[in-house]
Amino acid sequence: MAVTTDETEERTDTSETAPKRRRMGRIAMAVSVFGELLITAGVVLGLFVVYSLWWTNVLADREAGEEADRVRDNWQAADDSPGALDTKDGIGFLHVPAMENGEVLVKKGTSSKVLNGGVAGYYMSPVKATLPTTDKDGNFTLAAHRDGHGAKFHNIDKLEKGDPIVFETRDNWYVYTVYETLSETSKYNVKVLASIPRESGKKKAGKYITLTTCTPVYTSRHRFIVWGELERVERVNAERTLPKELR
Amino acid sequence: MYGWIWRHLPGNVWVKALLSLVLTLAVVYVLFQYVFPWAEPLLPFNDVTVNDQ
Repeated sequence: MAVTTDETEERTDTSETAPKRRRMGRIAMAVSVFGELLITAGVVLGLFVVYSLWWTNVLADREAGEEADRVRDNWQAADDSPGALDTKDGIGFLHVPAMENGEVLVKKGTSSKVLNGGVAGYYMSPVKATLPTTDKDGNFTLAAHRDGHGAKFHNIDKLEKGDPIVFETRDNWYVYTVYETLSETSKYNVKVLASIPRESGKKKAGKYITLTTCTPVYTSRHRFIVWGELERVERVNAERTLPKELR
Repeated sequence: MYGWIWRHLPGNVWVKALLSLVLTLAVVYVLFQYVFPWAEPLLPFNDVTVNDQ
């Protein structure tokens, strides 16, 4: 009961001082509300940074992990029953040792809906990617986020000429070697996706891979491009022994 | 503004503090679950592809 009496006392206290405070001035009141709104805006923006750089990674990694498990399960199941492979969850995995981020699931399309799932997407537009599984000459063009949503290409700037990029499918390891990087280009430069990427210095048809993401980090102002060329294809054996580049 | 909310929360100081915490968490939840996912595509931070547009 003591508490309630305390409270009523407090209440009467405030009700006595409150009118005084109000009389202190509407301007003071307006300024204090305005100040509180500014502080709120600052906190909300801070939370947005936390959301973009941390929370989206948590969600994307969880989603991509589940899909990757399903892809591997599908591969296992397809071994027993031949037929069309279910590629809805992804067509394979990208391993880039220089990026130090393990395996990246590769899915069809580069819409933000696909890429926000923490995967690398292969281009369907403006230039369609040539998948290595088709065995045709062309460019296997991929995009992934630099920051947030899994940030799968965050360390793209760590790639140097000669570094391996390995694409894993159910049956094959496609081992590419980086031969050229472009640390900054316009986001409208779709020529980098051409089946013969002339900007990288190539003039003949071949089997190329192109990684694209945004740069500098934490922005989307420009694009970072890495080109590689197919070096060899290794059959996947029963133990799925890693090619020597990944060991 | 926040003073007004504080004065209108029921209970003693501890109850008020607890309610404030719950309200804050609810606001953060709404921001992370609905507001930020909606706002993100409208902001120019996360385009990674090259394209014609």
